[in-house]
Amino acid sequence: SSPAALAPCRIMPVRWSRYNPSYLEPEVRKESYQKPLEELTEEEREQAELKAVRPIKAAPPTLSSSVFSDPMISKFTNMMMKSGNKVLARSLMSQTLEAIKRKQLEKYHKAPENEKETIECNPYVIFHQALKNCQPIIGLSNITKGGKTYQVPVPLTDNRKRFLAMKWLITECRENKHRRTMMPEKLSQELLLAFNNEGPVIKKKHVLHKMAEANRAYAHFRWW
Amino acid sequence: AKHTEQHEGRLYNIPLEEVKAVFPHGLPHRFQQQIQTFNEARVMVRKPALELLAYLKGSNFAHPAVRYVIYGERGTGKTMTLCHVVHYCSRQGWLVVHVPDAHLWVKNCKELFQSSYNRDRLDQPLQASVWLKNFKTSNERFLQEIKTQKKYMWGKRESTEEGRPLREVVEQGLARVRSASDAVGVVLRELKQQSHRGSFRLLVAVDGVNALWGQTTLRKEDKSPVSPEELTLVHNLRKMVMNDWNGGAIVTTLSQTGSLFKPSSAYTPQELLGKEGFDTLDPFVPIPVPNYSPREFESCYGYYLERKWLQHEKAHTEDGKAELQFLSGSNPRQLERLAGPL
Repeated sequence: SSPAALAPCRIMPVRWSRYNPSYLEPEVRKESYQKPLEELTEEEREQAELKAVRPIKAAPPTLSSSVFSDPMISKFTNMMMKSGNKVLARSLMSQTLEAIKRKQLEKYHKAPENEKETIECNPYVIFHQALKNCQPIIGLSNITKGGKTYQVPVPLTDNRKRFLAMKWLITECRENKHRRTMMPEKLSQELLLAFNNEGPVIKKKHVLHKMAEANRAYAHFRWW
Repeated sequence: AKHTEQHEGRLYNIPLEEVKAVFPHGLPHRFQQQIQTFNEARVMVRKPALELLAYLKGSNFAHPAVRYVIYGERGTGKTMTLCHVVHYCSRQGWLVVHVPDAHLWVKNCKELFQSSYNRDRLDQPLQASVWLKNFKTSNERFLQEIKTQKKYMWGKRESTEEGRPLREVVEQGLARVRSASDAVGVVLRELKQQSHRGSFRLLVAVDGVNALWGQTTLRKEDKSPVSPEELTLVHNLRKMVMNDWNGGAIVTTLSQTGSLFKPSSAYTPQELLGKEGFDTLDPFVPIPVPNYSPREFESCYGYYLERKWLQHEKAHTEDGKAELQFLSGSNPRQLERLAGPL
């Protein structure tokens, strides 16, 4: 839980770790270690000297120096994970990406020449585009005024939009499928539908937008 | 394609119709998926396969059949080497007896019957009928030409006369599922007796040969464990693998992935075959299969790029290639698994 060299404090940190301010962040990018000394600017030289002396914080498990790592994919994998089984979640994610790639490649090879450029085969591009299509623009929040709770339309932050999109996708895949279909198969189907702006998740987003539009009158209840 | 050697590291194409005819069973599952996605079957020509083909070409068919054992660590391409050799031999016109995975015969069997031919042994109708069906598709024309030399009785009323084509024995086994294992035994015995005449060459290709001498997970009705000799299929296959016949060759593969009660780090013939198996197979030619050499790795990577299998933008760069090589350790199976999601 909490590492050595804490700043003197009476409260023990429980959830987020508290480091002494002298600890530096770990540097993962390979390029920064390959520059020779002459190319560094003044600040970078100071940084390098500090690194030789100060202690460094422990690297979190999501930080990776691989060229193939993607923050959105790792966030999605963490959300799919159940009871800390990251191995299973990661294997499901890679099977999903492979299933998307296979389906798109089969379509690509069967399509006539002029349509071949329109078919997108990169599973990462499809994943990002599908998530973007699923993100709602406006959300609803419960505000209590005069004893009654109203659903008030409210703007959402980027983080909240991404979270909602991923959450809807995962709950949809977990609940609305046949008992025998595997998660990668169902997820790949949903992602391809969302990429084309079809499917139950997009429908849910439209329903939310319609509710927000219907409750426009209460918009002035918001005070932030 | 005509099998030209000295093409190490290159990939050669097998037309899809031949794939269905020669390999009804026997290709690894992931390779079959790859065939479906790319619409073509590409096998890499590697050193162990070239070695084997050279031995087969130079072998003297008057001498007893030579045994070759392909061994190596997990995922280095032993089954693919076997498939390459099988394809070559079927192209040359040999009769191929291909057992895709002997481990399937010693585990997960739903039905075990007592054999009618021999009281002590146990029959496996399901596996036997599946194998007979695949044997029929792969060796159609030979079944017409080869004639039986003895009269065989299937139960009280049905019998196959002397001089009938082998096709009838196979049909009998498929029709009467109960006697399918005996049909398999008959087929193997006929092939063995007639191969020395020289009208055809016989290749016995067995994948996972260490299953024949290990233990089984099957139990009899009184819950006592079954040893491999008590299974008719295993008994007949052991007779095939003995080198007391001539006019062909025996190519086998060791496999740890399907083996029962063996540690996962075991890959040498000594460990996987056990003492009994090693003594039975004793004068054999071992053929080790290593991981990809740098040249083979480049060729595989280039193939994936060409077929648009590696879609990630960073996978096309030098950094990506170096990372793939490091993460997979040049192991063909790991490379394939890693390249899947990328």
